[in-house]
Amino acid sequence: MAQVFYDKTAVQVEYDGVSETLLATNCTINYNNNLQPVYVLGNKGSLGHVPAGPRVGDISFDFLTTITGETHGYPGNIINYLASGIKHSIGSSGSGVLVKCAGISGWGFLNSYGFNAQSNAVSTSNASFGFFGGFDDPAGFTLPLSGRITGSDAEVGSTTAAVATGVAHGRYTTLASLYTTITAPDAAEEIGKLFAADYSISFAHNPIYMLGQETPLLTLYTSATESINAIEDVYNSGLSYTGNATDYPLILESVDLNALSNMRVTMISGVQVGASLSVGLDDIVRTQKTITAAY
Amino acid sequence: MLGRIRREAEKITINNSGIQGVQSISTQYESVARPLDNLGITEIQYAPQGAQTASLQLNTLLTNTLPSGGAGYTPLDLMQNFTGDIPFSGIIDYGTEKLYFTQAYLETYSVSCSIGEIPRSSTTSVIFGDLGTGLFDSWALASEVPAGLNVTSYSSMEVNLDEFSTNRMTSFSVDIATPRVPIYTLGLGAPTEVIAGTPIEVNVNFSLDIDDYEIKNMRFVPEQTVFRDTTITLKKNNSDVELLRYSFDNMLLTSESFQAGVDSNAAINFNLRSFILR
Repeated sequence: MAQVFYDKTAVQVEYDGVSETLLATNCTINYNNNLQPVYVLGNKGSLGHVPAGPRVGDISFDFLTTITGETHGYPGNIINYLASGIKHSIGSSGSGVLVKCAGISGWGFLNSYGFNAQSNAVSTSNASFGFFGGFDDPAGFTLPLSGRITGSDAEVGSTTAAVATGVAHGRYTTLASLYTTITAPDAAEEIGKLFAADYSISFAHNPIYMLGQETPLLTLYTSATESINAIEDVYNSGLSYTGNATDYPLILESVDLNALSNMRVTMISGVQVGASLSVGLDDIVRTQKTITAAY
Repeated sequence: MLGRIRREAEKITINNSGIQGVQSISTQYESVARPLDNLGITEIQYAPQGAQTASLQLNTLLTNTLPSGGAGYTPLDLMQNFTGDIPFSGIIDYGTEKLYFTQAYLETYSVSCSIGEIPRSSTTSVIFGDLGTGLFDSWALASEVPAGLNVTSYSSMEVNLDEFSTNRMTSFSVDIATPRVPIYTLGLGAPTEVIAGTPIEVNVNFSLDIDDYEIKNMRFVPEQTVFRDTTITLKKNNSDVELLRYSFDNMLLTSESFQAGVDSNAAINFNLRSFILR
């Protein structure tokens, strides 16, 4: 009987010799076997269930945006490192990473990753991985998911209380690259005030299956789409018909400005694809612009 | 050596004007540091969650007033000036220490009086700037308050409602709520702007020892309620010199209550309410 309290269920991600425990606030693991009933003429009931596809799983979790980690010299959390690496990779073949929670583990491929920043609040992130299985490294790791519920101690931390200096915070994060500046119809320049922003990237991947085995031979990343939503008080009614590709460097700062550490994400050649405006009772008019990029 | 600080060593100065007639001052803040919780937690860490603000409460007897028209103020009660959109800063002196605060906005203003009392005002304010013993800004020395006594009195006030010709008013209160909408942006702890919200809600409450007062039929309220113009004028004690005037148009009767008891006179309380658009 496995009854494991949350304090023993750290979410850990391992890749290329680096293991990082994320400050996850929730985690969900799904596992599906695609069995379908078989019907034939002359028989009212089904003949039984047969596999109509491979077993696949997925894991998703939200976590506090830790930014003082370092993965192979790249500052920030390991998820951000993975997303950046995949986004900018030249080749398509992905190796996957080991993802563990509560004793269940799998060799996962990053499906999506995102974070947000809003004034006077701790930034939170989210990530999801797909599990396809079928890899020989580590040896025997062929099923999408394995393990049973067991508690485990995280590999970081102590019992002393401390101010969280390694967590991105809206108090010190400006995301100045997202400020909207408008100069038309008159020359008076107007620069927007940024109230909140969220970033997300999703990856499409293509597991390659061969006859004679359930799990894929390899998994390819095919494309990535990136999106930023920024909440401001300036409305750009002069939205470009053809788009205006711009790089948007996002710098997330922590509570401790002396830590000299921050996490960076750069959207390459992003284009604004939408502008909306809304207002409600007892609030100012707020606008939202949506910027996307594709890789 | 342990000491104590008594009222003679305490004072508050707002926008370089000393406040007199102060009965009580209180200010407080609560840190917004909250523990971070996560799966597999092994360490308690704290991080700010939400905007840091503080609050200030001030109760004063209306014994001293600003010189009429002085410093650009229209009302004679200093705190009443801050029901608009301007903030105030101040210093609270206690003993040899000073407590500074900046960017305070009035949220509620009340004035009340009962028989036998000096009218008093009560205010609550929210502090969006700083609060503490540090020096946050360039401060001029706190001026001494030159104003002489201008004591308002229950015995020399005027209220213009008809009921009071035959029913004895025993107390009144005027409560003004001024909503504030702070606008926070990324990268800053204090709001970039504090919008003076609208509408301002005004409640006027009266208590009467009654003679021929007629309670309205509750089913006629509010359709057949007569909207009232209400004016309360506070004058200098034993004189006809007007010190403060509270005047509101088209107030709606929103509640009435009746009390009778073996040891008391029959009494009525009623509330009038109006909203003022900025």
